[in-house]
This record gives sequence, structure tokens and C-alpha cells, in this order.
Amino acid sequence: MITEPVSDNLLEIRDLSLTLGGNKILNDVNMDVRHGHIHALIGPNGAGKTTLIRSIMGGMPHKGSINFRFSDNGRIGYVPQLLEFDHSVPITVFDFLYLMLRKFPLFLGRRRPMREEILEILKVTECAHLIDRGVGYLSGGEFRRVLLAQALVPKPELLLLDEPASNVDEVGARHFEKMLIQLKQEHGHSILLVSHDMQTILRIADRVTAINRTVTYDGSPDDLSLSALVTNVT
Amino acid sequence: MEYIYDLISGWAVSGYLPSIFEHTFMIRGLLAAIIIGPLLGAMGTVVVTKKLSFFTQTIGNAAMSGVAIGLLFGEPIEGTYAGLYGFCLIVALVMTFVKNRSRLSNDTIIGVVLAQVLGVGIILMIVVTSQFNVHQVEGILFGSLITLNDTDLITLAVASLVVGILFAFNFNKVMLGGFNPILAKARGLSPVFLEYVFVCLMTVVVVASLKLIGALLVLVLVVVPAAGAQNIVKNLRQFVWVSVLFSTISTTFGMVLSGFLPIPSGAVIVLVSSILFYGSLLLRPLFSKGGLSQGEI
Repeated sequence: MITEPVSDNLLEIRDLSLTLGGNKILNDVNMDVRHGHIHALIGPNGAGKTTLIRSIMGGMPHKGSINFRFSDNGRIGYVPQLLEFDHSVPITVFDFLYLMLRKFPLFLGRRRPMREEILEILKVTECAHLIDRGVGYLSGGEFRRVLLAQALVPKPELLLLDEPASNVDEVGARHFEKMLIQLKQEHGHSILLVSHDMQTILRIADRVTAINRTVTYDGSPDDLSLSALVTNVT
Repeated sequence: MEYIYDLISGWAVSGYLPSIFEHTFMIRGLLAAIIIGPLLGAMGTVVVTKKLSFFTQTIGNAAMSGVAIGLLFGEPIEGTYAGLYGFCLIVALVMTFVKNRSRLSNDTIIGVVLAQVLGVGIILMIVVTSQFNVHQVEGILFGSLITLNDTDLITLAVASLVVGILFAFNFNKVMLGGFNPILAKARGLSPVFLEYVFVCLMTVVVVASLKLIGALLVLVLVVVPAAGAQNIVKNLRQFVWVSVLFSTISTTFGMVLSGFLPIPSGAVIVLVSSILFYGSLLLRPLFSKGGLSQGEI
């Protein structure tokens, strides 16, 4: 992982290959993510999208290079595809964010000052009202907003979102899209978004990379017809 | 230690405690209960979250082998510390290693090891002592206050202090890793390393509390207070403190109650703990604002 001064590209992936259990999951993947872009990553199930995201996060052994051209703290914010957890564990949204943001033991720490800070974080994704709700009792859309909120603190240079609108209804998905556009325009976030929803991609993405173990398309969403996307890529 | 024993036995003579607390071995048991109760309650919240209940039971069962190995290497019967701690830690580390390296589920791995370590322990015990001494086996399985000595109590106090500090200052990381390893990893933590740390801390506490509670019953104090707390709490902070409260009431009140009854202390502690659990279950509708029970889903 190399960190270099600012350029147009925030992330450069070159000749990335990855083999797991004898199976080639990714083969010579090349792609760039630009500063301030919403970049969509699409592909059929099993194409290696989540593996690529995890490689970017540094969790997978691979060949080739993944270079970041960060200008600030170099932090990556991550919203996972599925978050499996025991719904009976009494963890509220407050607890969930506290565990991630503070080292001082939650059961010994003072709640009030931290509560104000967490409320501010939740306001960014319009879910401050959920602060005392158990995470096991959130709807899919509510939980996605909480997950997005945690990914924004400390401020990341790159946001990785793995199918953020899965299991979310149409209204929730449109709301989520609006928030991503706001994060890009008002906060200057660069976003790499894995998605299956072509309508969402056409509405919000600046650039699309399609992969099926290797890159099958890389360019503007407008240059690729919707039908081709739907039939060949997903 | 003598000053503390004299002070507490004085309370027993004055009638503030049952007369059985005039005996030093009962005072040691009470002190052990006061020390270990809060720690088991706090750690139980992570055990329940990480679904490590039967892992704890396996460590308890491994104690039998640990005692036998200690005797084999010439340790005295009243203090087989190296054998006990050494073998139980090895079992804990091997189980965690296998869990993280194999495709087997957690309960399958525990199922494989759980009875093995007890059976092997009984065989080793017979080999080492050349006889089947049921009282030694009973002492390990159900706890033995008579054999709890000053060294045990000091070991328990030091182990609890060290483990308590390490546990508290790793609580957020361990809980996050237990709640969801993927997010923990995304925050730069190593959930696997944290799991190794936690199982080592848990093993030390379980082994330290064996003479008080016994290998078969230690599971109850790790799981039941946390499970009872889960019935009535709304957040993680309450979860820890109510579990600590339930566990401390169970150990101390159980010890005091055992002074009145001709029943082993471990069994009375289990009884008190169970009453608190079912009580919290009955009170659940008063505390629960949201969420369905399994039967309501």
C-alpha cells in the first residue's frame, strides 16, 4: 500500500489477481477511482466484487498493486454488504457507535458528553432519532443509515459501500441515494459503491466499472446501454 | 489474612453472619465469592455475545486433566497450579486455533473436546494415583471449600485483578469483535487476536474459581447472570452492570445461604442465580419496550 500526494486518482489498482483455495477470484483487474466521484462497481454474483472491496481494505493476500493517493489521514470508511449479528444482544445505536469510536470502556465511561457527539454523527445520515433504539430492532433502511454514519467518522478519504441498498425498500433506497449525492457534493467524499441496481447507478454514478473476475467494462454509465448492463453484467 | 478472618468470624460470633462463618474455610469461600462474582458477571456478557457458553464448560472439564497432569509432574494435590492453568490454557488456545482454521462450527469443535477432556482426565487421575478417588473427582466437579487455602485465595485475588483490568480496557474491542468481526476488522482491529486474548482471560478466571464453584457448575455463573440481565436491560452499559449485580448476589448470597444448609456452596450459588434468572424473565414485560420474544416471532 503506497500513499502519495494528491492527483486526480484517489485509488489506482494495477494487475490485481487473487486466488483463494485454488480458484482464481480476480484476474488482472485494473481500475482507477477519482477524487470526488461516485464510482459504481457492478458484476454478477460471484464476480469478485466483495473480494475486490476487501482487497482494497487490505484484508486479502493478492498479486498486483493497490495504490492510494490520499492527501489527508488516508482513512477508508466501510459499509459492509450484510451484517450478521445476534439480535438479542442489547446494543443500542449509541452503544454501537461508542464501541467503534472510543477506547475507554463503555460501561465505565460518562454517557452525556459522548451522547452529544454521537447525535451529531447520526444527524449527517438523518438518523439521530434512533440513538436509543436497539440495533436488532432497526429496519433495513434505518440500519443502513446507521452503518453509513459510523463509516463517516473519523472523516474518510474513501467510502466503500458494499450493496448499501440491498434489503431496503424503494423509498429507503431513494433516500439513501440522496444522502450519497449530499456526501459527495457537500462533504467532498469519494465513494466506491458496489450495486446491483442499474437505476441507482444511472442516477448517481460518475463512472462504472463492471467486473466478472476481470474488468469487462470501465467508463461512463451513459456510454453503456441499460439493456447491456442488465443482460451481460449482472 | 488472619486479621480479616478474625474480623469476619467476629461478625459470625456477634450474630451478623451464620455461625458457620466462624470457620476459616467458610470465610475464605465468602471472600472468594465476593472477588469472583463481579468479574464472572462482567465477562459473562461477552461470553453470551460471542456464544462461548460451552467453551467455558469445556475449560471447566479440562480441569480434571489439568489436575492429573499437575500430579504427574510432582505438584502437591492441594495446589496443582501449573498443571491446571497450563493444560486449560492449552485446551483454550487449541480450540480457538481449530475454530479459526477449520470449517467446523463452534459447537461441533466444542462437542468433540467437551467430554474428551473430562474422560481423559479421569483416566489420567487413576493412572497417577493408582486408584479411583471419588472425593478428588467430586472436589473438582462440584467445588471444594475445604481444600480452598490461602494460596488459592491470593491467586484468585491477583488473577481477578489482572484479568479485570485487562478485560475492562479491552472491553470495547472484544465486544465489537464479538458483535461483528467484519466491522471490527474495518476499524483496524484483529478479531481473531482479540478472541485469543479473551479466551485466555476467561480461562484464568474459570480455573481460579473452580474450587469455589466446581467444573460442572462454573458455566452457570458465566452464563446465567448475563442471560438474566439480557431479559430486562435496554443497553450495553445496563447489560454489564445488571449482570455484575446478579452474579455478585448469586455468589455472596449463595455462600451465606450455604452456611445454613447442608448443601455444597456451588449448588446453592446455582440455585440463587437461577431464581434471579427466572425472576428477570417474569419481570421482562415491565422492562421491555420493544422486541419480541422467540415465541412471539
